[in-house]
Amino acid sequence: MGTQKPLSRRQFLKLSASVAGSAAVISGARSLFTGLTAEASTGGTLQTAVEEKIIPTVCLLCPSGCGMLARVADGNLVKLEGSPMHPVNLGALCPKGQAAPELLYNPDRLTGPMRRTGERGANQWESITWEEAIQIVAAKLNDLRATGIPQRAAILYGEVRGQMRPFLDRFMAVIGSPNAISHDSLNIEAAKLGTLLTQGIYDLPAYDLENAHYVLSFGANMVEAGRSPQRMVSGMSYMRRGRAERGKIVVIDPRQGVTGAKADEWIPINSGTDAALVLAIANVIIKTGQFDSDFVHNYAFGFEDFKDDDGKDHRGFKNYVLENYDPQRVESITGIPATTISRIAGEFAGNPPAVAILPGKGGLLNGSFNGVAAAMAIHSLNALVGNLDIPGGVLTQRYPACPAWPDLPADSVAEAGRQAERVDGAGTRFPLARHAYQAVADRVLDGGYPLEALFLYDANPVYETPGGERFAQAFERIPLIVSFSSFMDESAQYADLLLPEPTFLERWQDDYFEGLGYPGVALRQPVVEPLYDTLNTGDFLLQVAQAMGGPVAEAFPWESFKVLLQERLSGNGTDWEMLKELGVWMTPGYRYTRRGSEKWVQEVIGRDRLKSARDGRFDFYSRELSCLLTGMDKDQLEALGAGVSGDPFFMPHYEPVKYLGNENDYPFMLNIVTLMSLGPYSAAANMPSLQEISGMTAGKRWDSWLEMNPETAHELGLEDGDLVWVESLFGYLKTSLKLVPGLHSDVVNLPHNQGHTAVGRFAQGRGINGLEILNPASEPFSGLAAFTNTRVRVMKV
Amino acid sequence: MPKWSMVIDLDKCVACQGCSIACRMENNTPVVSPAESALGRLMLWNDVFPLQAEEHGAIASAQAKFLTRPCMHCEDPPCVKVCPVEATYQDEEGIVRQNYARCIGCRFCTVACPYGVRYFNWYAPAWDEGLERHLNPDRVSGDGDLEGPAIRPKGVVEKCTYCIHRLHKARERAAAEEREFRPDEYVPACVQTCTGKARFFGDLDDPNSTVSQLAQSRRAFRLLEEAGTHPKTIYLHEG
Repeated sequence: MGTQKPLSRRQFLKLSASVAGSAAVISGARSLFTGLTAEASTGGTLQTAVEEKIIPTVCLLCPSGCGMLARVADGNLVKLEGSPMHPVNLGALCPKGQAAPELLYNPDRLTGPMRRTGERGANQWESITWEEAIQIVAAKLNDLRATGIPQRAAILYGEVRGQMRPFLDRFMAVIGSPNAISHDSLNIEAAKLGTLLTQGIYDLPAYDLENAHYVLSFGANMVEAGRSPQRMVSGMSYMRRGRAERGKIVVIDPRQGVTGAKADEWIPINSGTDAALVLAIANVIIKTGQFDSDFVHNYAFGFEDFKDDDGKDHRGFKNYVLENYDPQRVESITGIPATTISRIAGEFAGNPPAVAILPGKGGLLNGSFNGVAAAMAIHSLNALVGNLDIPGGVLTQRYPACPAWPDLPADSVAEAGRQAERVDGAGTRFPLARHAYQAVADRVLDGGYPLEALFLYDANPVYETPGGERFAQAFERIPLIVSFSSFMDESAQYADLLLPEPTFLERWQDDYFEGLGYPGVALRQPVVEPLYDTLNTGDFLLQVAQAMGGPVAEAFPWESFKVLLQERLSGNGTDWEMLKELGVWMTPGYRYTRRGSEKWVQEVIGRDRLKSARDGRFDFYSRELSCLLTGMDKDQLEALGAGVSGDPFFMPHYEPVKYLGNENDYPFMLNIVTLMSLGPYSAAANMPSLQEISGMTAGKRWDSWLEMNPETAHELGLEDGDLVWVESLFGYLKTSLKLVPGLHSDVVNLPHNQGHTAVGRFAQGRGINGLEILNPASEPFSGLAAFTNTRVRVMKV
Repeated sequence: MPKWSMVIDLDKCVACQGCSIACRMENNTPVVSPAESALGRLMLWNDVFPLQAEEHGAIASAQAKFLTRPCMHCEDPPCVKVCPVEATYQDEEGIVRQNYARCIGCRFCTVACPYGVRYFNWYAPAWDEGLERHLNPDRVSGDGDLEGPAIRPKGVVEKCTYCIHRLHKARERAAAEEREFRPDEYVPACVQTCTGKARFFGDLDDPNSTVSQLAQSRRAFRLLEEAGTHPKTIYLHEG
């Protein structure tokens, strides 16, 4: 009928696209958005991929561990969204998570196992097979066991969570080494020790921001790169605008940063004096009788003066604080007016529930016992107003109850090895330390503890420790170094074997919910097939165990790491198939404990004390510290650098930071800050989009800069944008100056995660690494790295 | 017919730049070289930046201010008026769109836009080996023209589209499920990813929508209101 109108080009394209689209509907089994086409009212035609899948997984670019939904189109990962099912991020995703496809498809990834052929660090390699790699490592470890020195194998690991951490610890224990060393001493250990020595919990507290009315953040860098920035942002957002009454957030930090800028109030403080401020706040609260009398008297120890078992009199927290921390006196220490201190104290005690937040990184690692004492002080403020384990207060992180690991097989070699001293000196050289990551290099270099084999898992000590060059030197003395890094980072460069693990987007792993308190499981699963000839380190070690045979093989019966996960996670009631589909498994809802109840004693107060009473009492006077240092007299304590003696040492107290570099020649404290954009991990510096947004606050990109207060700069004759030398006792670096009004005059800030000499094309040769000029020493009691006790001077180039 | 609008609550925004990168990954904007970036030629349709200190007093305790800035999708867009070839236009739902195939790269619009949210491709976009695999395969084409996340050629101006392809997809899904499309089924990538849940999106003409209600807030303001552009991207003051 009638004449046939020829198809216009546009109609033709539309038609062919529709045909492709219908095919997609059939082939895409789980697809949410199939390749349909349609004319919308706003005009235009949509074309998209043929086959699409949405796969849940968990991010690994910072310690938040956010749930993700991966959009995989025609086999490529093309977008990540936050998983609305995950309670930490509730559907949100930060720039690091959003940019993660640049990690997966990064052009500088290691593509397969390699063995060093040239001199160490000469960057000459040959490819090997995984079978060869397994044989080399198994032979070396068996060798160490045969000669009775299995403790000379060590692993350094980073932010390892879920089953992987106990798995790595178990691997080392089974071969017979006590040396499973975490990087905690570079960041969160001060806060963890502060909590242990008071509350008896060796963990970071969780904070119930959703129900808190008042938040005091002590250098916690909450919204940029604290322990769990996304968790803090979610909580803050709800606290501000998610509920009827808006809570108040006060940030105490020499540096304003984004956290201080976004807070209701920012109070600049003289660096390293947080403990004095906290105790002055406590002084006001005690003086005005606004503390929780029931808690401090019935569920705490050492609030009032007391007599010990030998009848000796001891000062308690109350009188110590009343006698020593009058706000007038503390004003001169902290630089904060006494009236402000009193007002903050009144606000904190008068707006319950209120929480005082510990820094999860940096802030308290100042190389003297002050850091741990400050953490104890900050945490004690919570106890003073009785907000432990109450809505809006401090929660205790709980973990999913997994079945116990099978007993270690009887093995006399391993048992002897496990009893050996640790190479980092944790528990021996550093009496309070559980880990002293950065100290490993010193011990190897002084010849006191030879290492024969070193594994680096999510660890780049050459870059990420103060004075990391020491590690490069120490590596010269270790015959076998194995790096599992996906990139040729600064430490991998010196390795003998490069055994790249696939990125977190291509592997099986589990995680928990950071910072919420209640237990839950999140699953990291491959969103695409591994791109290269890589192997999950869990699988590699399982195969090494089998190749080693004997008790080691016996202790690792799992055929793959995925099977291990499946077995352990279903052991706590998790449905594996649902976990894969949803990405998370949980019974949300924090279970509060009644003061003094059995659960309170088991789970909330005192759980992790090693030596002192687990009696459900919060220590204002640390019995754990006293027991751990039993036998040390005053001279020994002083030799280790105790700034105060007698009872105050065992209580939250203030002692001045021992800075390296005198105030006249080196007027600034060097503050290394982690940014939201680049975050803490070396590989993120090689993600180009993150480099591009890295210096948003300073108007810099792809580079470093040094922040200084404008008035101070003008006094020194420095202008914004000047090229400057930053010099400490340990070296000097060159960068450009950025004047920042929101900064204490005695502090300069240098952002972290630039100045790479390796990792890849986007990271290399940009800016400077401030850690190179930090004090490389460790704090003598706790083994903490010293991030905030190095002074610098700044001179125009 | 909905009138699309975005509300950004600066009280909840933490300047994390999640929006900047969500936009990039969704819309295939390229990373420019460090040298180009120093010249201010970033291709971030939603940039985040600090406001100059002078604007809020330079006293040490003053708190810095940050702004996150997508296209304002003005009701009266100056960019549309100056375009000599009708490459940029406002569609019937209020989205200011850009037709890359028509654009001649004269950059009148980048000058006319008072918000600086139009970006010129000085170079053909390029991705280092392998990185092109993450590009969003979605593309919108109308009247033989290219829009949306389709890779732009050198020499054209590009901009935020409120993720127009997501709107198409949401409509198609509703059609495939044989039901009516609801305006709350679609949000741009920046809204979805917002870490502080500071962004809201919806139909400004619907008196019950979150955006129309927030637009009535006493905290609501629009950027450069005096310019008479009537932005549909609306901000809420801090505090």
